[in-house]
Amino acid sequence: MPCTCCIIPNDVLTRLSQDKKLSAVVRKQLVDTVQVSHELREMRTQAAKLTNVVAARASGMVTLAAAPAVTVYDCKHTQTLPGTPVPKPKTSSDASIKRTFNQTTKVAKFYQQVFNRNSIDDHGMTMMSSIHYGEKYNNAMWNGSQMIYGDGDGSIFVDFTKGNDVIGHELTHGVTQHSLQLAYSGDAGGLNESISDCFGSMFRQWEAKQDVKKADWLIGKDIMGPAAKKKGFTCLRDMANPAAKHCLAPQPTKYSQITPGMDPHYSSGPPNLAFCTACTTLGGYSWAKIGQVWYNSLTGFGPTPNMTMKAFAARTRQGAQTLYPGDATVYAAVNAGWTTVGL
Amino acid sequence: MDRLKIERVGGFAGFGGPHLKSRGEVAVSDLPAADQKTVDSLFADPNKVPAAHPGQADAFSYRITRGAKTIEVPEHAVPSTIKNSVKDVLE
Repeated sequence: MPCTCCIIPNDVLTRLSQDKKLSAVVRKQLVDTVQVSHELREMRTQAAKLTNVVAARASGMVTLAAAPAVTVYDCKHTQTLPGTPVPKPKTSSDASIKRTFNQTTKVAKFYQQVFNRNSIDDHGMTMMSSIHYGEKYNNAMWNGSQMIYGDGDGSIFVDFTKGNDVIGHELTHGVTQHSLQLAYSGDAGGLNESISDCFGSMFRQWEAKQDVKKADWLIGKDIMGPAAKKKGFTCLRDMANPAAKHCLAPQPTKYSQITPGMDPHYSSGPPNLAFCTACTTLGGYSWAKIGQVWYNSLTGFGPTPNMTMKAFAARTRQGAQTLYPGDATVYAAVNAGWTTVGL
Repeated sequence: MDRLKIERVGGFAGFGGPHLKSRGEVAVSDLPAADQKTVDSLFADPNKVPAAHPGQADAFSYRITRGAKTIEVPEHAVPSTIKNSVKDVLE
């Protein structure tokens, strides 16, 4: 796939290179920059291909670091990435910076302690986040290399770094990229999104030491702005009740309700409900057994970019039996989860 | 007058769903020349619309309509003038 992002857009460089108010020397340098940028983007595309090849051979690879470095960059309300590096994010006076550093560090700890995973790629790769992205930007995302967080418009949404489930969600997209490599459309897209909601929610519960009964199973509760709350929306998504009226983004509850071309943030409803049902059926902590089954299904078999939900469900049922051969309640809980959504 | 209708969809919150909308409109003639050229090239060959970055998730994309034709473009390939034309609303 071609990569076309760049710090200074090509059309700006080209326009400036034609600006006669600039000296001939500067204009030549701008032309040169366009050409160099093209080669850098080609290199980036090749780097992505290298990631895939290396990942397939990961068992023989050397670990980069025992525990990942966590870096934070300040975009200062521009959309230029990665932004200005923050030298000491842990003690920053900027609450977004400090929170992003602390929560990302905790997500790393969560993956290490609960799943024995060393960072996003399981080899200690640096976890990079950019905050204050854009102006009143109502989004958080994973761009294939790093996390990016907007401040929200202060009305519909507040600062996206305020949601620890949001941070867990975005980081998990990186984990998926470095394991199952799910595509972002169709069944695979819904699974991709669901896995991020599942692990984002698990992280939130783990940090609060909540069992499945105490957990609220809400995604985006902490980023709801005053305008959203005033209309009665308490969250973006509800894993326990995907179609609920209090959801800003209500979802289907049955696999049969997913339609072609559906946004993955909506088609994730049924697998979210399956996971939540499996967890609440079994009881205890979500990450203890059902989380392990999901993690094994995500990371134990190599890439399947176009995995169907039916195939993933079968894999988790198999995983429940393989991982917990002496405990039929785990299989029963996983089975109950998928049966609830029609898979 | 040649106008573009823009809808921003996707993102972590799922813009484009029942309650979250992000829409805008802009006259092509109001765009800087370079952006007009970008728009022309995007509509000229939809097969050449840039793809999303590998592994990317929760990014916005923009559905841009010009006349009877609509294309969907990942955010990183959309000129700022078009990105800045949309307004996020709750319905």
